Amino acid sequence: MAVKLQPVQVLYCPVCSMPAEYCEFSPEFEKCKSWLIKNAPDLYPQLVQEAADKAAEKLDGLTVGGEEDGVKGEGSSSEPKKEDEVKRLPGGKVKKKVTFEDMQEKPEVVVEKIVRNKRKCVTIIKGLDMFGIKLSEASKKLGKKFASGASVVKGPTDKEQIDVQGDIMYDIVEFITDTWKSVPESAIYFIEDGRKVSANA
Amino acid sequence: MFKKFSSEEVTGQNQVKASVQRKIRQNIADEYPDLEPLLDEMLPKKSPLIVAKCQNHINLVVVNNVPLFFNVRDGPYMPTLRLLHQYPGIMKKFRVDRGAIKFVLAGANIMCPGLTSAGGNLDEEVPADSPVAIMAEGKEHALAIGYTKMSAKDIKSINKGIGVDNMHYLNDGLWKTLHLD
Repeated sequence: MAVKLQPVQVLYCPVCSMPAEYCEFSPEFEKCKSWLIKNAPDLYPQLVQEAADKAAEKLDGLTVGGEEDGVKGEGSSSEPKKEDEVKRLPGGKVKKKVTFEDMQEKPEVVVEKIVRNKRKCVTIIKGLDMFGIKLSEASKKLGKKFASGASVVKGPTDKEQIDVQGDIMYDIVEFITDTWKSVPESAIYFIEDGRKVSANA
Repeated sequence: MFKKFSSEEVTGQNQVKASVQRKIRQNIADEYPDLEPLLDEMLPKKSPLIVAKCQNHINLVVVNNVPLFFNVRDGPYMPTLRLLHQYPGIMKKFRVDRGAIKFVLAGANIMCPGLTSAGGNLDEEVPADSPVAIMAEGKEHALAIGYTKMSAKDIKSINKGIGVDNMHYLNDGLWKTLHLD
């Protein structure tokens, strides 16, 4: 067969990254649903049906409008019991969202370590400017304290951050709180394995 | 195999010599004859071909920072699922029944009964120790790439135990590694 094959375009779900048809096996199926209803209605007809039902119910005033189209998953797969457990999640999800937004507004310092070449690393400090600290001065101080290169770098989304050579996670917190009294320890966060961890924990 | 794979597991990447490049191309072309006309596009001679060595003797063939193929030790090259989704016709296909999907997506090896039951399907000509695409009942796209432990005929006749080793499945570490740099 010398015929040139054409690449097939596959619809991937942005939530769980799998092809849309496998969303139902994703642990985050609940979150996928709203996207699925919009983008792949023919794959999960029952979902669309449910959503429509729900909207109708709401209009009738039969349900209390607590969860905003959290999309109930009744009998969409063969395991209604499991679905039941998942159903309670939307409440939690909503809560999470709120706290996340709160955090965005609050000024905070985020410290992240990036490893390069296996043993060498760079510590990135973001958000110092939110406390009214001049980054150029801060980088000088950091460089002096840790005897290494420290520079102000334009990070993603145009926010400026300080890159310090070397792993300085161990006493960065102390240094920041000592040098700039306006930064509380509770506002400093580490990023570990992609998760945000409070420094004073 | 790639359950916990991440870019940190890459112990070394190097741009390979032209001769090695040719060998890799040849191997891939031998394994997937349908892919041959596309290889020029996929692995352009001009752009550097990088082989990333990872733990557990895994090698990844990376072009333009995108992993395209992988192999184990000196085993056959297998496409990543993203590549397979684009060119589903290149591999022999096995189909598992619906009940097996969730286990396969959790990384389980494919057991014979899942392939021989009503929802399953086997390509009779597949010998042991060869790469296959794992499809699923009622689904259009592949959900895993496996390496047969026994031939298709044995799977049918023995119908017990592991039929296909799960190498790479949806949402495993390799799947999540879109770019390698």
